[in-house]
Amino acid sequence: MVPVNTVLRRRRQELILGGALLVVLAVLPLAISSDYLRGLIVLTLLYAGLSQGWNILGGYCGQISLGHGLYFGIGAYVSTVLYVDYAIPPTLGLFAGAALAGLAALLVGWPCFRLSGHYYAIATLVMGLIALLLVNNWDFVNAARGITIPFRHQSWVALEFRFPNFPFQYVMLAYAALAWIIAWIVEGSRWGFVWRAVKDDAVAARSLGVRIFPSKMAAAAISGAVVGVGGALYAQYVGFIDPDSGLGLSLSVLIALPAVVGGVGTLWGPLLGAAVLIPVQQLSGAWLGGAGNGVDLMFYGALIVALALLRPQGLVSLFARRPAKAAEEAHAG
Amino acid sequence: MSGIKRRQILASAPLGLAGAALAGTALAPRNAAAAEKEVLIGCVYPLSGPAAQVGHDAQAALQVMADIVNGNHAIPMLMGKGGGIAGLGGAKIKLIFADSQNNPQIAQSETQRLITQQKVVAIVGSYTSATAVTISQVCNRYQVPYISAENSAPSLSEQGLTWFFRPSPTDNDFSQAMFDFLEAHAKETGKPIKSVAIIHENSVFGSDSARIQTGLAKKAGIKVAADISYQASTPSLQVEVERLRAANADVVLPSSYTSDAILMVRTMHDLGYKPKAILAQDAGFIDPTFLKAVGPLAEGVMSRSSFSIDAVKSRPAIPAVNAMYKAANGNKDLNDLTSREVTALQVLADALNRAKSTNNMALRTALRETDIPGDQTIMPWKGIKFDKTGQNIEGNPVIMQYQKGEWHTIFPVDVATATVEGSF
Repeated sequence: MVPVNTVLRRRRQELILGGALLVVLAVLPLAISSDYLRGLIVLTLLYAGLSQGWNILGGYCGQISLGHGLYFGIGAYVSTVLYVDYAIPPTLGLFAGAALAGLAALLVGWPCFRLSGHYYAIATLVMGLIALLLVNNWDFVNAARGITIPFRHQSWVALEFRFPNFPFQYVMLAYAALAWIIAWIVEGSRWGFVWRAVKDDAVAARSLGVRIFPSKMAAAAISGAVVGVGGALYAQYVGFIDPDSGLGLSLSVLIALPAVVGGVGTLWGPLLGAAVLIPVQQLSGAWLGGAGNGVDLMFYGALIVALALLRPQGLVSLFARRPAKAAEEAHAG
Repeated sequence: MSGIKRRQILASAPLGLAGAALAGTALAPRNAAAAEKEVLIGCVYPLSGPAAQVGHDAQAALQVMADIVNGNHAIPMLMGKGGGIAGLGGAKIKLIFADSQNNPQIAQSETQRLITQQKVVAIVGSYTSATAVTISQVCNRYQVPYISAENSAPSLSEQGLTWFFRPSPTDNDFSQAMFDFLEAHAKETGKPIKSVAIIHENSVFGSDSARIQTGLAKKAGIKVAADISYQASTPSLQVEVERLRAANADVVLPSSYTSDAILMVRTMHDLGYKPKAILAQDAGFIDPTFLKAVGPLAEGVMSRSSFSIDAVKSRPAIPAVNAMYKAANGNKDLNDLTSREVTALQVLADALNRAKSTNNMALRTALRETDIPGDQTIMPWKGIKFDKTGQNIEGNPVIMQYQKGEWHTIFPVDVATATVEGSF
């Protein structure tokens, strides 16, 4: 048993580290002049936030979801429709998107949390596919044609910029920081402990009086809402949303991947995973994809396989303190 | 020691890639200065994923046109003389391809990269309309012309973009041509077309096509006897074909992909239903795979197209261009898509030639002043001339019919190579 004050000290250290990183990342854009590299930072931070959102349900609570594209799509579509059809700026629309995405996560969770293990993962996968089919045929949201967000004027309220890469570095930084701080809070909260107990052994947790179902529902709602915000920001950044790019199956995988590669159920895993995967994916595509022989995709795939084999606990384990030292500290504390 | 080094190198591999990208930025202007006589043009296509084949064909087609401009092939069309772009002192076209993975976001960031890092003077793309939306918006922001080769969604030229140019007809034009043909044919035979039956797959292509056709039928006073939608991956079309039979329309208008087109024609045969006429919206019905699969059942089928490979009398450049493309791409003939890709690059080369500069403003002015007569291209169009939205107003599609095992152009009359067969 790790003494309480060690846990508190570690959490305070993490908060300080997070704050320091935030400062570095806030200064970094000023040093970068290439618009393309700015775009890379935008995407990396977006996926860091999305994957952190996934991590709350998939990592801390241990409910592997392959349907988070659904919440992303809801966030994206809700804020886009509100903006394009009702002139409600996306800075407000994203709250509606987040709320509905969280609600959708509860609706998916209500029947599906009665399933366990692989069955839950498959159920989320199917939910995502159902949504994809529905939106593909739903004329109110332009069905398969998708919705274009036209550029009208420079505005922070509407998150519209002639050259969006520079300002969106800060938008996405705020998003990634928000997702991180939510994860930090829940990690130390009563829920966080309950989730880890549920993840380790649901039966044992229940026998100790933990109410499993409501705790899973809470994780789902928070996770869905965080991913929904990311969807809304993505739509505004790209200026276009269609069923494939907003709700596709590959998106659900891309959301989960940084957390899985970086370290499931850890505070730094999603950020670390995104910082490695997104640049490699984009740069290999840029430098090798033009030949059209798929070398870039093989390279990217090989990297993921290699990381999974070499670091099954995730990249975050590279930075873990040695077990002996940790144990020593525990004794001393 | 060496072990440590190797590990360090391995660990820094992703950083190395990023470094390469940075180095690329630094080098780009120097390269441009060293090779003044090269014009860089960015091409964004899906080169991986399910649409990769289309992207690879586009690569071959665009390279053929670049070779025509750069080389010495003496092809009887505009910019066919060769020897580079005369207006730019014989500068050669260099194409830089990027893989959009058929994803709007990747298309966006790759276009940004081509413009800001590679300093391309224009972008050509992109097959699917979802990627064309983001590419055209990026181009508009960076003020670089986007030549849309084969994106046919009408909405693209209605976005109010000022750097968008589309030589190809749109879906509106395509369906309009079908109804123009029906009207002309009715006048000729004296038998008015009273009803049509629309059958379409339910993704963006089929449902848009059906929507436009319904509107045009209403305008022409033709009754829509049936409007049937189905999923392209369906295992059976029996019910749908029975409904077509019950509707008994003068003309059946299918908008289908390949496997469902095959299934539809076979099911019609199996159920003993022979429509009076089939006039298809391109796509599956002109796919060589379709013809191979249904053989003689395709006899008499008509389809709209934007290219007619047999129009060699009025378009003398076709045989030579087609021969080059065949040699470059596994003995395939030019088709509806690849012919438009060749033409898109031709339009751009012509504009660069007249602009006498790679300056973006000069290039846009030249593009706006484009006026190419149809016989100077490989397309059966009247010509190429852009309106203020960047849409070609002289790009009229053609109607073809499958007769005795070959496609023949039957409409409009000035490029027709055969007369209509059938009794509708």
